[in-house]
Amino acid sequence: MTSALWTHIVKDLRIEWRSLDAIVSMLFFSGLVVVLFSIAFDPRGATSQQISGGVLCVATMFASVSTLNQAWGREIRHQVMDAQRMAPSSGAQLYLAKVLVNFLFVSIVQIALAPVFFIMYNLHIAGNAWILALVLPLGTWALVGNGVFFAALSIRSRNRELLLSLILFPIFIPALLGMEQATTSILTGDSDPWLWIKMLTGYDIIFTTASLLLFDVVFHAE
Amino acid sequence: MDERSILDHQFVVAAYTVTWVIQLGYLAWLGFKWRSEKRNAERRLHNSR
Amino acid sequence: MKKLALGLFPVITVLLMVWGYHQAIYVAPDDALQGYIFRIIYYHVPSASVAFLFFAISLIGSIGYLAFRRSNPARALAADAWALAGAEVGVVFCTVVLTTGPLWGRRAWGIWWTWDARLTTTLVLWLIYVSYLLLRRFAAGPQMQTLAAVLGIFGALDVPIVYMSNRWWRTQHPAPVFGGDADSGMKDPTMVHALLWNMLAWFCWGMLVLFLRYHVERRHQQYAAQEAEEALAGAD
Repeated sequence: MTSALWTHIVKDLRIEWRSLDAIVSMLFFSGLVVVLFSIAFDPRGATSQQISGGVLCVATMFASVSTLNQAWGREIRHQVMDAQRMAPSSGAQLYLAKVLVNFLFVSIVQIALAPVFFIMYNLHIAGNAWILALVLPLGTWALVGNGVFFAALSIRSRNRELLLSLILFPIFIPALLGMEQATTSILTGDSDPWLWIKMLTGYDIIFTTASLLLFDVVFHAE
Repeated sequence: MDERSILDHQFVVAAYTVTWVIQLGYLAWLGFKWRSEKRNAERRLHNSR
Repeated sequence: MKKLALGLFPVITVLLMVWGYHQAIYVAPDDALQGYIFRIIYYHVPSASVAFLFFAISLIGSIGYLAFRRSNPARALAADAWALAGAEVGVVFCTVVLTTGPLWGRRAWGIWWTWDARLTTTLVLWLIYVSYLLLRRFAAGPQMQTLAAVLGIFGALDVPIVYMSNRWWRTQHPAPVFGGDADSGMKDPTMVHALLWNMLAWFCWGMLVLFLRYHVERRHQQYAAQEAEEALAGAD
């Protein structure tokens, strides 16, 4: 890991450690979403196993958006962005650092949320449980990777938060499908999750590569 | 003409109508945009004189 | 001479439209399986083809803008105008597809909608390009074109993924396929001719509207550039 990448990561982690606002707000918001879904779609019903995968994915999505909205918030104030641009490291490293840090935050929230989720939906895993540990990070990476990139795209717009969701969700749809299908097939043991895992991996590789290549264009367009 | 084909006919009419409403509606909007650009250009020309 | 050609094109387009309509409603026979409702195909399929073509034009415009914005700014601006025109008119045609499709599906297959590969891809494409247009509207400043161009590329990357993932989804969970055999059902030559005439008519209409949109955008770019120049000059 290059020193610039490491510096960016440490900086963001340190800021978060001092205030904890991203993680706390995400935890609360996603917990709220799970409760709301439990009320809206009865978890005691026969279909609860089928829909729980989808509910978990959508809860992750909403939770992530709340943190992604302020992913660049710290850089916007006090002309930090300009300082970043003048730094000798490439924009791609800044991007990757942000993705890694936000990925960590969202994963922490997912791990915290999973037991709550299992309890509320009375889930029992019919398939291989350890594959979930592969599927969830892949899906989260897709969300956070694209989310950080599009958050940078929408920095200077009027409705910054709204625009991020509007841009992110359509492009995220195939990854959402993959994540939900894989999770459901693991939970119900009905079908083979590996097709979806391969698709998610492909999606992650394609979009991470595109983001790394195009981030400098976006970064210096400001 | 039986029930089914009357409804079929209505749906075809609806589809064709919706198509033209969308297309002509967009063309009309484009026309307004053209006019406002022309007015902007004329105003500029007038101001620079 | 050019003016004459320019004036003639809309006339020809309208004539083609009328002819296409006549072919679709009065000449082509009812479909053997679906009956009268099949005639929606003559507006639905050409609109889909034009929409996809124009989205491709938009993508090329986006790439062109990013490629030329430093080396040849004038060409880059033209490319950006194509990107916007292609996206906007593409969304118009895609909206037609998404409204005529369910009307057809409801009568022919009993369902308004299904999540098969084609429909899902079309819907996602529509969502992506609407979000592209929203970015162009909400983003401020001259950087907007760069950001929009990048989004255009991302959107285009997504489309084949959506299609493939939906195909896999459907092999696991088979469900009704909209219009799966519609094209293979066109054995009657009059129906094929009707479809081709309407393809041509809608293609001409699409090109007409696309060129108009491009032209309006170019004017707007000129106006914006002149305004910027004046603002700079008057800042002394």
